[in-house]
Amino acid sequence: MAVAATTNVARIPSCALWGLEAAPVTVEVDVANGLPAFSVVGLPDAAVSEARERVRAAIRNSGYEFPLRRVVANLAPAERKKEGTGFDLAIALGVLRATGQVTHEVTALCLGELALDGSVRPVRGVMPRVRGALGAGVADVVCAEENAAEAAAAGAKAIGVATLRSAVAHLAGEAPRAPAAVPPPAPIARPAIDLADISGHETPKRALEIAAAGGHSLLMVGPPGTGKTLLARALPGLMPPLDPDEAVIASAVHSVAGLVDPARPLLAARPFRSPHHTASHLALVGGGSPPRPGEVSLAHTGALFLDELPEFSRQVLDTLREPLEEGSITLSRAASAATYPARVTLVAAMNPCPCGHAGDAAAACTCLPDAVERYHARLSGPLMDRIDLRVNVPRLAYEALRDEGSEPSRVVRERVAAARERMRARLAGTGRRTNAELTVAEIRTHCRLDDVADALAREAMRSRRLSARGVHRALRVARTLADLAGRDRIGGEDVAFALLLRGAA
Amino acid sequence: MIALAPTDARYPAGLRDLSRPPDPLWVDGDMTSLERPAVAIVGTRRMTGYGERVARELAMGCGAAGVVVVSGLAQGIDSAAHRGALDAGGETVAVLGESIPATIGTLRGRRRPLLPRIREHGALVSEFAAPLGARPWMFAQRDATIAALACVAVVVEAGEGSGALITAAHARTLGRRLYAVPGPIGSSASVGTNALIAQGLATALVSADQLLRAVGQSAVVRVAPQVDPIIDALRDGPLALDDLARRLRLPAAHLSLRVAALVLSGAVGTQPDGRIARR
Repeated sequence: MAVAATTNVARIPSCALWGLEAAPVTVEVDVANGLPAFSVVGLPDAAVSEARERVRAAIRNSGYEFPLRRVVANLAPAERKKEGTGFDLAIALGVLRATGQVTHEVTALCLGELALDGSVRPVRGVMPRVRGALGAGVADVVCAEENAAEAAAAGAKAIGVATLRSAVAHLAGEAPRAPAAVPPPAPIARPAIDLADISGHETPKRALEIAAAGGHSLLMVGPPGTGKTLLARALPGLMPPLDPDEAVIASAVHSVAGLVDPARPLLAARPFRSPHHTASHLALVGGGSPPRPGEVSLAHTGALFLDELPEFSRQVLDTLREPLEEGSITLSRAASAATYPARVTLVAAMNPCPCGHAGDAAAACTCLPDAVERYHARLSGPLMDRIDLRVNVPRLAYEALRDEGSEPSRVVRERVAAARERMRARLAGTGRRTNAELTVAEIRTHCRLDDVADALAREAMRSRRLSARGVHRALRVARTLADLAGRDRIGGEDVAFALLLRGAA
Repeated sequence: MIALAPTDARYPAGLRDLSRPPDPLWVDGDMTSLERPAVAIVGTRRMTGYGERVARELAMGCGAAGVVVVSGLAQGIDSAAHRGALDAGGETVAVLGESIPATIGTLRGRRRPLLPRIREHGALVSEFAAPLGARPWMFAQRDATIAALACVAVVVEAGEGSGALITAAHARTLGRRLYAVPGPIGSSASVGTNALIAQGLATALVSADQLLRAVGQSAVVRVAPQVDPIIDALRDGPLALDDLARRLRLPAAHLSLRVAALVLSGAVGTQPDGRIARR
């Protein structure tokens, strides 16, 4: 195959990713006379620079010719750091285009890692990149077959290719391939635990329902074996499925973390993440260079369950404060910064004391009062301030274990969905969805109290048993209680229950 | 902080009953609180909810009647007694097992806020000079001082080998009237007190009135009888909302308004573990 004597610069559309922020990148390849060399410029990281070796081998092993001339690939715009192996395909196609081995202009977004034998491998973060490209007006995507469903789910005309050769054949129109079908959303797994399976515990169940509806954070305290973990595992069954726009964002975070099912990349169920208490802050809030999402972002739109809360390192827990407050986390590193969404319902569980048996009817507590106090002091004040619902999960007496079957999760879920519908109507146009996200101004307009409720809230403030922020957080919970009951006006019992769960004392 | 020699006129007379009276006795606070009739209320650090309530009620009875409560500022029963006396507007004396500056320097947590309250309404007392920090023998020696400062001693809860039993033994040696609060048979926190009663070493104490009569006072201001059924249901310690509802045979949802009103009035409170307790 003769190399065309052209010095035209090839331009191939690709896409870079910083966190969930995608920006179009044009891979420019120039082949000039000079000593044989191949360099990649435009702030590539190590993985991008190594593309040279993969691209050279892939081109040769696909039966094409790699020019024995001076080859420069530039990732434009050149001032931002690029990372990952997703530019391999675009660089290879650029070399082939610049040397005339690809005869057509390439207008499709090209994403994929190359193997040395020329096959195309999947990369992470296809969904946010494709969404970015769609925003920039590129509708066609050429990517690895494994990524095609994900690109199609993001709304692109996605062509999956197995090898560099088939990519060239498709682009040249020699062997056009059909776009991948839009995959159905991932099936919603039947929750393992149904509320009807758990007897007794009326107040903890009620708190779980409030958390599921309003997105309020919940802490369950009780002796070991009383059902705290069981209750938390029942939470996914109480949450309504994801809205389509929520699903795209949640799936994109999972895509960046490389956690999507290639065939069913679009999440349908709200995520439920339960990191172990040995988790580092990197694992919990994300980090690294380039910054990857942590558990709190993977749980976005869903629930983050922290079992044995005081066993987590205090520093790790304190890093959760920002995402819990802001609903997002910005990870700044020397080379790059990334912002990931982190709007989660926090659910935590802990023992009442180091031995676990304070207040346990079945076993005597062996802890000294000071030890119990220190145990609770392990949790910092600012974190506890962000816990809206604190319930005790006591050991049940035999008669309570045996008593009436409680509501199944399905019934509670319908009530939660109806309450969320009311919240959504109230917050329409703000981008926020749940009562936990109400601003102080919105609390004033949307939390209309009846006389009893007003007197209680006033008294809570006057007696200094709660700070102003504490009262606001309690009013958000009271709003959710009224929403669950289908009432517009917040009643005394709503505020009373919210204050009790807040631990106003 | 001043040092009182046994020759000082302000030196508490009761301490002269000891074979080796503290010399000097360091006092930080109101000296006159050492001259009034006093009751020692002591007990185990590993108290139960029952013990906490009884210690508090006895101390509140004393505090309201102007009887000084003497104790050792330990965790558990001791600090419940100090707190009860202060909350009832009374005076209390804390006899420390180390020097006063050592305690002020190291005490942390829920007992720390007691220090300024005790100095204002009573006194911190120690027989140890700065910079002595705590040694095990010092606490046993201090237990004798507690017994000597009071004319009546009460052991609220004491397990086997509890330090409160040392105070009880000293009280008997010094000829002080000794009371023990009977507890449930089988409760490890009441083994020591029940044994004192069973062996005839201590009189069973069943009310604050009985205690005040023993020091020659009658309850001038009675502790208001707790009529609210919610407060009554919390007599043996904190309860989860569901347990409270079950005990009162009411649905938990109906209960919250009444409990919240009690919380805001300060009569009950919620604990860090979410249970509801008497204040």
